[in-house]
Amino acid sequence: MENVKTALSGYAKYKGREGHFAFVLHRISGLATLVFLAMHIVTTATVYFASQWYERLIQVFRNPAVMLAEIVMAFFVIYHGVNGLRIAWFDLFRPDLWAVGTSRRSATTTLIIAFVLWLPALSIMGYNLLRYGFNLSGGK
Amino acid sequence: MTVNSPIKVSKNYDVTAWKWMRYSAFLLIPLVWVHSIIQALLTGGHNLSLDYVALRWSYTGWRVYDFLLLAFAFAHGVNGLRQVLLDFVKTSKGRKALSWGLLLFWLVLSVTGAIAILGGVKIPVK
Repeated sequence: MENVKTALSGYAKYKGREGHFAFVLHRISGLATLVFLAMHIVTTATVYFASQWYERLIQVFRNPAVMLAEIVMAFFVIYHGVNGLRIAWFDLFRPDLWAVGTSRRSATTTLIIAFVLWLPALSIMGYNLLRYGFNLSGGK
Repeated sequence: MTVNSPIKVSKNYDVTAWKWMRYSAFLLIPLVWVHSIIQALLTGGHNLSLDYVALRWSYTGWRVYDFLLLAFAFAHGVNGLRQVLLDFVKTSKGRKALSWGLLLFWLVLSVTGAIAILGGVKIPVK
């Protein structure tokens, strides 16, 4: 229990500014993606193991709350990818860029790029949420 | 010895895993993003059905694609979870149990997914 407390208070109290924020968001987005992926593997595997369940399971993905969660997931997947690219690139090819100044700037740029890339996903998935999640058909 | 001389790192599981988290990242960005764009944005959950999966998997290329996703994404994810949990578990006994437990979790879900991709869609008898 002591270890859990130490680790969590470290996550919360460490004053690492941009890099700290990137670290925490990378972990949260990664864990959320893993939970989604594990469920995704199991539900998709029912097409072979118990296909009579599949059609019922995918009804869950038409629930507006789940559709909303998927829009958040889209941001997580994009952020985790852009930030992961930054980490892999710096670690493998340009460790010099981990210097405080460039590392802070790159963390901010990463967040902006991820947000911009998320906007098309937000509009398409947001439209689908209104159209199919809430059955709004735009005046028809 | 200068400050910048490279540090010699002995080869062990964690060094290899550290490298593979980065190699797989390069691979996963196009794999996951293309998959998400096609499935979540172009197709959308409201168009999903058993027939849709059957049609998709009638192409061997898409089965290979999904197999690569399963192999790389899930291994990357479970090893990532292991890295996170190692922050919380400090005893060597606990760490051993954690690693074996996660290996088992990874193996069971990977095999389940792989069998489904190989076996394909079984349309239920009505």
